[in-house]
Amino acid sequence: MKRFVKWSKTNWLVWAVAAAYVIVAATRPEAAADGGIIGLQTFGELAATLVTVFVIVGLFQVWVTEDFIMKHLGEGSGFRALAIGAGVGTIIHGPLVGIFPLLDALLAKGARAGVIVAIVSTWAIKLPMIPLELRLFGWQFTLLREGLLFASAFVMAPLMDLALGKDWARHHRATGQGMTGIITRPEGDLDG
Amino acid sequence: MSGTDWAMLAVTAAAVGFSASRNREKTMKALRIALKQFLNVLPFFIAVFAMIGLFEVLLTPAQIQGWLGSGQGILAPIYAAIFGGLATGPPAAVFPLGQYLLNQHASIAAVATLLIAWVAVGTVTLPAEISFFGARFALSRWALALSLSVVLGLVMGWLL
Repeated sequence: MKRFVKWSKTNWLVWAVAAAYVIVAATRPEAAADGGIIGLQTFGELAATLVTVFVIVGLFQVWVTEDFIMKHLGEGSGFRALAIGAGVGTIIHGPLVGIFPLLDALLAKGARAGVIVAIVSTWAIKLPMIPLELRLFGWQFTLLREGLLFASAFVMAPLMDLALGKDWARHHRATGQGMTGIITRPEGDLDG
Repeated sequence: MSGTDWAMLAVTAAAVGFSASRNREKTMKALRIALKQFLNVLPFFIAVFAMIGLFEVLLTPAQIQGWLGSGQGILAPIYAAIFGGLATGPPAAVFPLGQYLLNQHASIAAVATLLIAWVAVGTVTLPAEISFFGARFALSRWALALSLSVVLGLVMGWLL
C-alpha cells in the first residue's frame, strides 16, 4: 500500500490521464480512441531516441560517480570555481534531492554559496537528454537552450550571493544546518 | 525510423562498445540501470503520450495559440513557467509535450520556458531543499529559477 501511494505520487499523471480518458470515452468514445492511437504513434516515433537516452543515462550513472566529482572539483576560487561548479552541474544526474547531500558535503569542505548555486543551476542541463531534444527541436534550439542554461549559472551565482549575503556559507557551516547522512539517496529516482 | 535515429543508435552503440572495452562489468551495470530507469519512467511516459493524443483530438491549435501563442506576449511564458514549475516528472517526458505545443503554434518563448521550468524550478523538492540549506537559500533559488526560466524563454523566443 505504501509503495502504491509512493508510485502514485511520482506517477500522478498516469491517474490524471486515465481519469481524463474515462470521461472522454463516456461522452465521445471515438475521440478517446483516436487520442489513444495518436499517442501510440507519437510514442513509436520516439522509441529509438528513448533507447539512446536511457543507455546514456546508464553509462553516466556508472562512470560519473560522486567520488569522480569530488576528485575533479579542485579548490578553485572566483570565476574558476564557478566554472568548475557549472561543469559539475552539467554532468551530474539523478533527482535534485539526490544531490543535496553532495552539495552539503561541498559546503562543509569550504565551497562558497555561488558554487553550489552554479551546480544546482546547470543541473537542469541533462546531457543524456540532448539526443531527444535534438530529435524534436533541432540543432539551433538545442544548442541555444543548453548554452543559455550553462551561461545562466554565472548569472544565478552572483544573484544568489547577493540574496544570501557574504557570510551565508560560513554561517551555514557554523550552525550545522546541513543534514549530510540523514537523508540518503531516494530509491527509484525518476530523473536522468 | 529516420536517418537521425540510426545515427543516434550508432553513436550509442559505439559508446557502449567503448565503455565495454574499458570495463565490461561497469558496462553491464550501466545497461541494467538503463533498463531499470526506463521501466521506472515508462508509466509516466505512456501517460504523457496518451495526454498528447487526447490534446490532439480535444484541443484545437487555435486554443493552444490563444493561451501559449506569441500573441499573448510575456503571459505565455509566465503560464508555461507556472505549469512547468509545479508539475514534476521525468525530464525526458517534457520534451515530447513541448514539441507538441510548438507544433500547435505555442510560442518558442513559452515552450523554452516550459522545458526549463520543468527541470530547474523544483517546487516539490522545496521542503527537502529547505531542510538542507535553509529557507533563505531554498526560496531565493526557487524564485530566481522561476524568473530565470521566463527570461531565458523570452531570450530564446527573441533569438529564434
